[in-house]
Amino acid sequence: MVALAVVLCAVVLLLAVLVAGLLRSHADILKALHDLGAGVGDPATPTAVSGRSPSRGTEVPPPLLMGPPLPEERDATTAPAVAGMTPNGDAVGVAPATGGGLTLLAFLSSGCGTCGGFWSAFRQPDRWGFPEETRLVVVTKGPEYEVPRAVAELAAPGLTVVMSSEAWSDYEVPGSPFFVLVDGRSGRRIGEGVANHLSQVAELVRRAVLDARSSLSSSRGRASAEGLDGPARERANDQELLRAGVLPGDPSLYPRTFDDLYGPDGPTAAPRPPAAGAV
Amino acid sequence: MATISAHGIQASLPQGFEGRIFVRPRTGAELTYPVAQFATFALPSAVGDFGSGAVTLMGSSDVFVTLFEYGPESLGTRLFARQGMPRDLAPADFRPTVLRRGIPGQSGTQWFFTEGGRPFTLYVVLGSHALRASLVPRVNGLLRAVALDAVTAPAAGAEAGSPVAATSLPARWN
Repeated sequence: MVALAVVLCAVVLLLAVLVAGLLRSHADILKALHDLGAGVGDPATPTAVSGRSPSRGTEVPPPLLMGPPLPEERDATTAPAVAGMTPNGDAVGVAPATGGGLTLLAFLSSGCGTCGGFWSAFRQPDRWGFPEETRLVVVTKGPEYEVPRAVAELAAPGLTVVMSSEAWSDYEVPGSPFFVLVDGRSGRRIGEGVANHLSQVAELVRRAVLDARSSLSSSRGRASAEGLDGPARERANDQELLRAGVLPGDPSLYPRTFDDLYGPDGPTAAPRPPAAGAV
Repeated sequence: MATISAHGIQASLPQGFEGRIFVRPRTGAELTYPVAQFATFALPSAVGDFGSGAVTLMGSSDVFVTLFEYGPESLGTRLFARQGMPRDLAPADFRPTVLRRGIPGQSGTQWFFTEGGRPFTLYVVLGSHALRASLVPRVNGLLRAVALDAVTAPAAGAEAGSPVAATSLPARWN
Protein backbone atom coordinates (compact mmCIF):
# COMPACT_ATOMS: atom_id res chain seq x y z
CA MET A 1 0.00 0.00 0.00
CA VAL A 2 2.78 2.37 0.94
CA ALA A 3 4.65 1.46 -2.21
CA LEU A 4 1.58 2.26 -4.29
CA ALA A 5 1.19 5.67 -2.62
CA VAL A 6 4.84 6.44 -3.26
CA VAL A 7 4.50 5.50 -6.90
CA LEU A 8 1.36 7.62 -7.26
CA CYS A 9 3.06 10.59 -5.65
CA ALA A 10 6.00 10.19 -8.00
CA VAL A 11 3.71 10.03 -11.00
CA VAL A 12 1.77 13.12 -9.87
CA LEU A 13 5.02 14.96 -9.28
CA LEU A 14 6.29 13.99 -12.71
CA LEU A 15 3.06 15.12 -14.34
CA ALA A 16 3.22 18.41 -12.46
CA VAL A 17 6.73 19.01 -13.74
CA LEU A 18 5.64 18.19 -17.28
CA VAL A 19 2.63 20.55 -17.08
CA ALA A 20 4.80 23.36 -15.68
CA GLY A 21 7.27 22.84 -18.50
CA LEU A 22 4.52 22.94 -21.10
CA LEU A 23 3.08 26.12 -19.59
CA ARG A 24 6.52 27.73 -19.57
CA SER A 25 7.11 26.74 -23.18
CA HIS A 26 3.71 28.08 -24.17
CA ALA A 27 4.44 31.37 -22.44
CA ASP A 28 7.75 31.67 -24.27
CA ILE A 29 6.02 31.09 -27.60
CA LEU A 30 3.36 33.69 -26.83
CA LYS A 31 6.02 36.19 -25.80
CA ALA A 32 7.98 35.58 -28.99
CA LEU A 33 4.85 36.02 -31.10
CA HIS A 34 4.01 39.18 -29.22
CA ASP A 35 7.48 40.60 -29.84
CA LEU A 36 7.07 39.82 -33.52
CA GLY A 37 3.90 41.86 -33.58
CA ALA A 38 1.58 38.98 -34.29
CA GLY A 39 -1.13 40.54 -32.19
CA VAL A 40 -0.96 38.01 -29.41
CA GLY A 41 -1.07 39.22 -25.83
CA ASP A 42 -2.48 42.18 -24.04
CA PRO A 43 -3.25 44.83 -26.65
CA ALA A 44 -3.04 47.49 -23.97
CA THR A 45 0.62 46.75 -23.47
CA PRO A 46 2.66 49.40 -25.29
CA THR A 47 4.89 48.04 -28.00
CA ALA A 48 6.65 49.32 -31.05
CA VAL A 49 4.81 49.25 -34.32
CA SER A 50 5.92 46.05 -35.92
CA GLY A 51 9.23 46.42 -37.58
CA ARG A 52 9.38 50.15 -37.07
CA SER A 53 11.93 51.32 -34.60
CA PRO A 54 10.74 53.96 -32.20
CA SER A 55 12.67 57.17 -32.37
CA ARG A 56 14.37 58.76 -29.41
CA GLY A 57 13.21 56.08 -27.03
CA THR A 58 9.49 56.80 -27.30
CA GLU A 59 6.77 55.26 -29.37
CA VAL A 60 5.99 57.45 -32.33
CA PRO A 61 3.23 57.23 -34.88
CA PRO A 62 4.24 55.90 -38.29
CA PRO A 63 4.69 58.49 -41.00
CA LEU A 64 1.83 59.43 -43.24
CA LEU A 65 1.89 57.09 -46.21
CA MET A 66 1.46 58.13 -49.83
CA GLY A 67 0.86 55.67 -52.64
CA PRO A 68 0.95 51.89 -52.38
CA PRO A 69 1.66 50.23 -49.03
CA LEU A 70 5.28 49.68 -48.07
CA PRO A 71 6.73 46.61 -46.39
CA GLU A 72 5.98 46.74 -42.68
CA GLU A 73 9.45 45.67 -41.65
CA ARG A 74 10.93 48.93 -42.90
CA ASP A 75 12.42 51.36 -40.40
CA ALA A 76 10.09 54.22 -41.21
CA THR A 77 10.88 56.57 -38.36
CA THR A 78 14.56 57.39 -38.32
CA ALA A 79 15.99 60.10 -40.56
CA PRO A 80 19.73 59.60 -40.96
CA ALA A 81 22.01 62.17 -42.52
CA VAL A 82 22.36 62.14 -46.30
CA ALA A 83 25.90 62.60 -47.55
CA GLY A 84 27.47 62.26 -50.94
CA MET A 85 28.59 64.11 -54.02
CA THR A 86 26.87 66.77 -56.05
CA PRO A 87 26.70 66.32 -59.83
CA ASN A 88 29.44 68.95 -60.11
CA GLY A 89 31.88 66.95 -58.02
CA ASP A 90 31.44 68.90 -54.80
CA ALA A 91 30.54 67.23 -51.51
CA VAL A 92 27.42 67.80 -49.47
CA GLY A 93 25.97 66.41 -46.27
CA VAL A 94 22.42 67.13 -45.13
CA ALA A 95 21.06 66.41 -41.66
CA PRO A 96 17.28 66.50 -42.09
CA ALA A 97 16.59 65.42 -38.52
CA THR A 98 18.04 68.61 -37.09
CA GLY A 99 17.51 72.27 -37.63
CA GLY A 100 13.84 72.54 -36.83
CA GLY A 101 12.41 72.84 -40.33
CA LEU A 102 10.95 70.39 -42.79
CA THR A 103 13.11 68.58 -45.31
CA LEU A 104 11.56 66.82 -48.28
CA LEU A 105 13.89 64.18 -49.65
CA ALA A 106 13.04 63.38 -53.25
CA PHE A 107 14.67 60.14 -54.35
CA LEU A 108 14.87 60.43 -58.14
CA SER A 109 16.88 58.94 -60.94
CA SER A 110 17.93 60.37 -64.25
CA GLY A 111 16.45 57.52 -66.25
CA CYS A 112 12.95 56.90 -64.93
CA GLY A 113 10.13 58.44 -66.96
CA THR A 114 8.03 59.53 -63.99
CA CYS A 115 11.03 61.25 -62.45
CA GLY A 116 11.28 63.48 -65.52
CA GLY A 117 8.13 65.31 -64.49
CA PHE A 118 9.58 66.02 -61.10
CA TRP A 119 12.92 67.20 -62.47
CA SER A 120 10.98 69.66 -64.63
CA ALA A 121 8.62 70.72 -61.86
CA PHE A 122 11.51 71.40 -59.53
CA ARG A 123 12.60 74.15 -61.90
CA GLN A 124 9.55 76.17 -60.88
CA PRO A 125 9.69 76.68 -57.10
CA ASP A 126 6.70 79.02 -57.16
CA ARG A 127 4.52 76.09 -58.24
CA TRP A 128 5.71 73.56 -55.68
CA GLY A 129 2.97 74.34 -53.18
CA PHE A 130 5.07 73.31 -50.19
CA PRO A 131 4.93 75.14 -46.86
CA GLU A 132 7.42 77.97 -46.74
CA GLU A 133 9.78 76.29 -44.28
CA THR A 134 10.14 73.18 -46.45
CA ARG A 135 13.58 72.45 -47.85
CA LEU A 136 13.79 70.26 -50.93
CA VAL A 137 16.72 67.91 -51.34
CA VAL A 138 16.94 65.60 -54.35
CA VAL A 139 18.79 62.36 -53.74
CA THR A 140 19.99 60.22 -56.62
CA LYS A 141 22.09 57.11 -56.47
CA GLY A 142 25.83 57.59 -56.43
CA PRO A 143 28.15 58.00 -59.39
CA GLU A 144 28.52 54.23 -59.57
CA TYR A 145 24.89 54.05 -60.81
CA GLU A 146 24.20 57.52 -62.20
CA VAL A 147 26.03 59.68 -64.70
CA PRO A 148 26.78 62.96 -62.89
CA ARG A 149 26.58 64.97 -66.10
CA ALA A 150 23.09 63.64 -66.85
CA VAL A 151 21.96 64.50 -63.33
CA ALA A 152 23.51 67.95 -63.60
CA GLU A 153 21.59 68.64 -66.79
CA LEU A 154 18.31 67.67 -65.13
CA ALA A 155 18.85 69.55 -61.89
CA ALA A 156 17.57 73.09 -61.63
CA PRO A 157 20.15 75.74 -60.71
CA GLY A 158 20.32 76.12 -56.96
CA LEU A 159 18.59 72.82 -56.29
CA THR A 160 20.38 70.73 -53.67
CA VAL A 161 21.20 67.38 -55.24
CA VAL A 162 23.03 64.65 -53.35
CA MET A 163 24.31 61.60 -55.18
CA SER A 164 24.39 58.88 -52.56
CA SER A 165 23.55 55.20 -52.93
CA GLU A 166 24.04 54.89 -49.17
CA ALA A 167 21.11 57.22 -48.57
CA TRP A 168 18.89 55.02 -50.74
CA SER A 169 19.92 52.11 -48.59
CA ASP A 170 19.51 54.00 -45.30
CA TYR A 171 15.98 55.07 -46.21
CA GLU A 172 15.13 51.69 -47.76
CA VAL A 173 13.89 53.34 -50.92
CA PRO A 174 11.86 50.78 -52.90
CA GLY A 175 12.25 52.64 -56.21
CA SER A 176 12.06 56.02 -57.83
CA PRO A 177 10.37 58.39 -57.53
CA PHE A 178 10.07 58.13 -53.76
CA PHE A 179 9.61 60.91 -51.24
CA VAL A 180 10.37 61.22 -47.53
CA LEU A 181 9.31 64.18 -45.44
CA VAL A 182 11.35 64.75 -42.28
CA ASP A 183 10.38 67.05 -39.45
CA GLY A 184 13.50 68.59 -37.95
CA ARG A 185 11.68 69.44 -34.74
CA SER A 186 10.81 65.87 -33.89
CA GLY A 187 13.80 64.44 -35.74
CA ARG A 188 11.74 61.80 -37.53
CA ARG A 189 9.92 61.08 -40.77
CA ILE A 190 6.38 62.32 -40.83
CA GLY A 191 5.48 61.25 -44.35
CA GLU A 192 6.77 59.07 -47.14
CA GLY A 193 5.70 57.20 -50.22
CA VAL A 194 5.46 57.04 -53.98
CA ALA A 195 3.90 59.77 -56.12
CA ASN A 196 3.40 60.37 -59.80
CA HIS A 197 2.70 64.08 -59.70
CA LEU A 198 4.03 67.01 -57.70
CA SER A 199 0.51 67.81 -56.52
CA GLN A 200 0.42 64.46 -54.70
CA VAL A 201 3.67 65.31 -52.96
CA ALA A 202 2.41 68.76 -52.00
CA GLU A 203 -0.70 67.16 -50.55
CA LEU A 204 1.42 64.72 -48.56
CA VAL A 205 3.49 67.56 -47.17
CA ARG A 206 0.41 69.58 -46.28
CA ARG A 207 -1.32 66.68 -44.53
CA ALA A 208 1.81 65.53 -42.73
CA VAL A 209 2.47 69.02 -41.44
CA LEU A 210 -1.10 69.32 -40.19
CA ASP A 211 -0.87 65.92 -38.50
CA ALA A 212 2.46 66.74 -36.89
CA ARG A 213 1.22 70.09 -35.65
CA SER A 214 -1.96 68.53 -34.34
CA SER A 215 0.07 65.93 -32.48
CA LEU A 216 2.39 68.54 -31.03
CA SER A 217 -0.50 70.80 -30.19
CA SER A 218 -2.25 68.13 -28.16
CA SER A 219 0.85 67.33 -26.16
CA ARG A 220 2.86 70.51 -25.93
CA GLY A 221 0.58 73.42 -26.61
CA ARG A 222 0.03 75.70 -29.55
CA ALA A 223 3.04 77.92 -28.96
CA SER A 224 5.40 74.97 -29.18
CA ALA A 225 3.53 73.32 -32.04
CA GLU A 226 3.63 76.44 -34.15
CA GLY A 227 7.20 77.24 -33.28
CA LEU A 228 6.26 80.58 -31.80
CA ASP A 229 8.83 82.59 -29.95
CA GLY A 230 9.13 85.85 -28.11
CA PRO A 231 6.01 87.97 -27.57
CA ALA A 232 3.93 85.77 -29.89
CA ARG A 233 4.73 82.75 -27.71
CA GLU A 234 3.77 84.69 -24.56
CA ARG A 235 0.48 85.76 -26.10
CA ALA A 236 -0.32 82.19 -27.15
CA ASN A 237 0.48 80.93 -23.66
CA ASP A 238 -1.71 83.61 -22.08
CA GLN A 239 -4.60 82.64 -24.34
CA GLU A 240 -4.31 78.98 -23.41
CA LEU A 241 -4.18 79.85 -19.73
CA LEU A 242 -7.27 82.02 -20.05
CA ARG A 243 -9.13 79.26 -21.89
CA ALA A 244 -8.24 76.91 -19.03
CA GLY A 245 -9.62 79.40 -16.53
CA VAL A 246 -6.25 80.35 -15.13
CA LEU A 247 -6.27 84.10 -14.60
CA PRO A 248 -3.43 86.37 -13.53
CA GLY A 249 -2.63 85.75 -9.89
CA ASP A 250 -3.99 82.21 -9.90
CA PRO A 251 -2.28 80.23 -7.10
CA SER A 252 -1.39 77.46 -9.53
CA LEU A 253 1.01 79.84 -11.23
CA TYR A 254 3.06 80.18 -8.05
CA PRO A 255 3.90 76.68 -6.77
CA ARG A 256 5.72 76.79 -3.45
CA THR A 257 6.20 73.09 -2.79
CA PHE A 258 6.60 69.93 -4.80
CA ASP A 259 3.08 68.98 -3.74
CA ASP A 260 1.83 72.06 -5.59
CA LEU A 261 3.46 70.72 -8.73
CA TYR A 262 2.91 67.00 -8.46
CA GLY A 263 0.21 66.53 -5.86
CA PRO A 264 0.55 64.45 -2.70
CA ASP A 265 1.47 61.31 -4.66
CA GLY A 266 4.67 62.84 -5.97
CA PRO A 267 6.14 62.96 -9.47
CA THR A 268 6.08 59.16 -9.90
CA ALA A 269 2.32 58.94 -9.54
CA ALA A 270 0.05 58.17 -12.43
CA PRO A 271 0.26 60.68 -15.28
CA ARG A 272 -1.82 63.78 -14.74
CA PRO A 273 -3.36 65.90 -17.39
CA PRO A 274 -0.92 68.61 -18.43
CA ALA A 275 -1.22 71.83 -16.52
CA ALA A 276 -2.66 74.69 -18.48
CA GLY A 277 0.59 76.57 -18.17
CA ALA A 278 2.68 73.80 -19.69
CA VAL A 279 2.69 75.20 -23.19
CA MET B 1 28.50 59.49 -38.87
CA ALA B 2 28.18 60.89 -42.39
CA THR B 3 31.41 61.70 -44.15
CA ILE B 4 31.86 64.17 -46.98
CA SER B 5 34.98 64.56 -49.04
CA ALA B 6 35.96 66.70 -51.98
CA HIS B 7 38.75 68.96 -53.20
CA GLY B 8 41.24 67.60 -50.69
CA ILE B 9 39.03 68.23 -47.64
CA GLN B 10 37.34 65.46 -45.66
CA ALA B 11 34.93 65.82 -42.78
CA SER B 12 33.11 63.28 -40.68
CA LEU B 13 30.06 65.27 -39.71
CA PRO B 14 29.24 65.02 -36.00
CA GLN B 15 25.62 64.43 -35.08
CA GLY B 16 23.50 67.40 -36.06
CA PHE B 17 25.99 68.95 -38.45
CA GLU B 18 25.46 69.59 -42.14
CA GLY B 19 28.25 70.42 -44.52
CA ARG B 20 29.34 71.09 -48.04
CA ILE B 21 32.67 71.33 -49.78
CA PHE B 22 32.71 73.12 -53.08
CA VAL B 23 34.60 75.27 -55.53
CA ARG B 24 32.71 78.16 -57.03
CA PRO B 25 32.63 78.33 -60.83
CA ARG B 26 35.24 80.63 -62.27
CA THR B 27 34.24 83.95 -63.69
CA GLY B 28 36.57 85.34 -66.30
CA ALA B 29 40.18 85.19 -65.20
CA GLU B 30 39.21 84.75 -61.58
CA LEU B 31 40.66 81.74 -59.80
CA THR B 32 38.53 79.97 -57.25
CA TYR B 33 39.56 77.61 -54.49
CA PRO B 34 37.78 75.14 -52.24
CA VAL B 35 35.39 76.30 -49.55
CA ALA B 36 33.98 74.07 -46.83
CA GLN B 37 30.96 75.13 -44.81
CA PHE B 38 29.44 73.39 -41.82
CA ALA B 39 26.41 74.27 -39.75
CA THR B 40 24.06 72.87 -37.15
CA PHE B 41 21.09 74.24 -39.08
CA ALA B 42 19.77 73.78 -42.58
CA LEU B 43 22.22 75.49 -44.91
CA PRO B 44 20.45 77.40 -47.67
CA SER B 45 21.49 76.56 -51.20
CA ALA B 46 23.02 79.98 -51.75
CA VAL B 47 25.39 81.01 -49.00
CA GLY B 48 28.26 83.45 -49.21
CA ASP B 49 31.72 82.11 -48.60
CA PHE B 50 31.73 83.53 -45.10
CA GLY B 51 28.12 82.80 -44.25
CA SER B 52 26.11 85.65 -45.66
CA GLY B 53 22.62 84.33 -46.15
CA ALA B 54 23.16 81.74 -43.42
CA VAL B 55 24.22 83.48 -40.23
CA THR B 56 20.95 85.38 -40.13
CA LEU B 57 19.14 82.03 -39.90
CA MET B 58 21.09 80.85 -36.87
CA GLY B 59 19.43 80.08 -33.59
CA SER B 60 21.16 80.76 -30.30
CA SER B 61 22.37 77.15 -30.06
CA ASP B 62 23.68 76.99 -33.63
CA VAL B 63 27.19 77.23 -34.99
CA PHE B 64 28.47 78.02 -38.45
CA VAL B 65 31.96 77.15 -39.64
CA THR B 66 33.64 78.00 -42.91
CA LEU B 67 37.01 76.94 -44.16
CA PHE B 68 38.21 79.03 -47.08
CA GLU B 69 41.30 78.20 -49.11
CA TYR B 70 43.45 80.88 -50.68
CA GLY B 71 45.70 80.68 -53.70
CA PRO B 72 49.33 79.58 -53.59
CA GLU B 73 50.44 83.19 -53.79
CA SER B 74 49.49 83.46 -50.12
CA LEU B 75 51.93 80.79 -49.06
CA GLY B 76 54.83 82.04 -47.05
CA THR B 77 53.20 85.33 -46.17
CA ARG B 78 53.10 86.39 -42.53
CA LEU B 79 49.32 86.20 -42.42
CA PHE B 80 49.45 82.47 -43.06
CA ALA B 81 52.51 81.77 -40.94
CA ARG B 82 50.64 79.59 -38.48
CA GLN B 83 51.11 75.91 -39.33
CA GLY B 84 48.08 73.70 -38.88
CA MET B 85 44.39 74.38 -38.45
CA PRO B 86 43.36 75.15 -34.88
CA ARG B 87 41.35 72.21 -33.61
CA ASP B 88 41.00 73.13 -29.97
CA LEU B 89 39.41 76.53 -29.74
CA ALA B 90 38.63 78.12 -26.39
CA PRO B 91 35.55 80.14 -25.47
CA ALA B 92 37.85 83.10 -24.94
CA ASP B 93 38.79 82.98 -28.62
CA PHE B 94 35.33 84.22 -29.58
CA ARG B 95 34.44 87.90 -29.68
CA PRO B 96 31.36 89.72 -30.93
CA THR B 97 33.64 92.18 -32.69
CA VAL B 98 35.18 89.53 -34.94
CA LEU B 99 31.96 88.95 -36.85
CA ARG B 100 32.05 89.81 -40.50
CA ARG B 101 28.47 90.92 -40.11
CA GLY B 102 27.66 92.14 -36.63
CA ILE B 103 24.52 90.40 -35.44
CA PRO B 104 23.52 91.08 -31.84
CA GLY B 105 24.17 88.12 -29.58
CA GLN B 106 26.51 86.29 -31.93
CA SER B 107 30.26 86.07 -31.75
CA GLY B 108 33.01 84.75 -33.95
CA THR B 109 36.62 83.89 -34.40
CA GLN B 110 38.89 83.79 -37.43
CA TRP B 111 42.26 82.16 -37.94
CA PHE B 112 44.66 82.17 -40.88
CA PHE B 113 46.95 79.19 -41.24
CA THR B 114 48.75 76.88 -43.62
CA GLU B 115 48.27 73.14 -43.55
CA GLY B 116 49.69 70.61 -45.94
CA GLY B 117 51.06 73.39 -48.09
CA ARG B 118 47.64 75.00 -48.48
CA PRO B 119 46.72 78.44 -47.09
CA PHE B 120 43.35 78.66 -45.37
CA THR B 121 41.25 80.82 -43.14
CA LEU B 122 38.91 79.33 -40.57
CA TYR B 123 35.91 81.45 -39.61
CA VAL B 124 33.51 80.30 -36.92
CA VAL B 125 30.27 81.97 -35.79
CA LEU B 126 28.42 81.09 -32.60
CA GLY B 127 24.70 81.73 -32.44
CA SER B 128 25.06 83.06 -28.92
CA HIS B 129 28.14 84.52 -27.31
CA ALA B 130 26.53 83.85 -23.94
CA LEU B 131 26.38 80.12 -24.71
CA ARG B 132 29.98 79.90 -25.98
CA ALA B 133 31.02 77.54 -23.19
CA SER B 134 28.63 74.90 -24.48
CA LEU B 135 28.95 75.69 -28.19
CA VAL B 136 32.73 75.74 -28.53
CA PRO B 137 33.10 72.02 -27.66
CA ARG B 138 30.72 71.25 -30.55
CA VAL B 139 32.91 73.34 -32.85
CA ASN B 140 36.02 71.53 -31.65
CA GLY B 141 34.32 68.19 -32.24
CA LEU B 142 33.81 69.19 -35.84
CA LEU B 143 37.29 70.63 -36.33
CA ARG B 144 38.89 67.45 -35.06
CA ALA B 145 36.88 65.53 -37.65
CA VAL B 146 38.17 67.66 -40.53
CA ALA B 147 41.22 66.50 -42.47
CA LEU B 148 43.05 68.51 -45.10
CA ASP B 149 45.05 66.76 -47.77
CA ALA B 150 48.50 68.06 -48.49
CA VAL B 151 49.23 69.40 -51.94
CA THR B 152 51.00 66.80 -54.02
CA ALA B 153 53.40 69.25 -55.62
CA PRO B 154 54.33 72.05 -53.23
CA ALA B 155 53.93 75.47 -54.70
CA ALA B 156 56.66 78.05 -54.56
CA GLY B 157 57.17 79.28 -51.04
CA ALA B 158 55.54 76.27 -49.41
CA GLU B 159 57.56 74.06 -47.16
CA ALA B 160 57.43 70.55 -48.52
CA GLY B 161 56.42 68.02 -45.91
CA SER B 162 55.58 70.59 -43.29
CA PRO B 163 53.90 69.06 -40.27
CA VAL B 164 50.15 69.03 -40.60
CA ALA B 165 49.23 69.87 -37.06
CA ALA B 166 52.24 71.82 -35.90
CA THR B 167 51.55 75.09 -34.12
CA SER B 168 54.90 76.74 -34.13
CA LEU B 169 53.63 80.30 -34.09
CA PRO B 170 51.11 81.98 -31.85
CA ALA B 171 47.62 82.50 -33.18
CA ARG B 172 46.78 85.77 -34.86
CA TRP B 173 43.49 87.56 -34.98
CA ASN B 174 42.15 88.76 -38.21
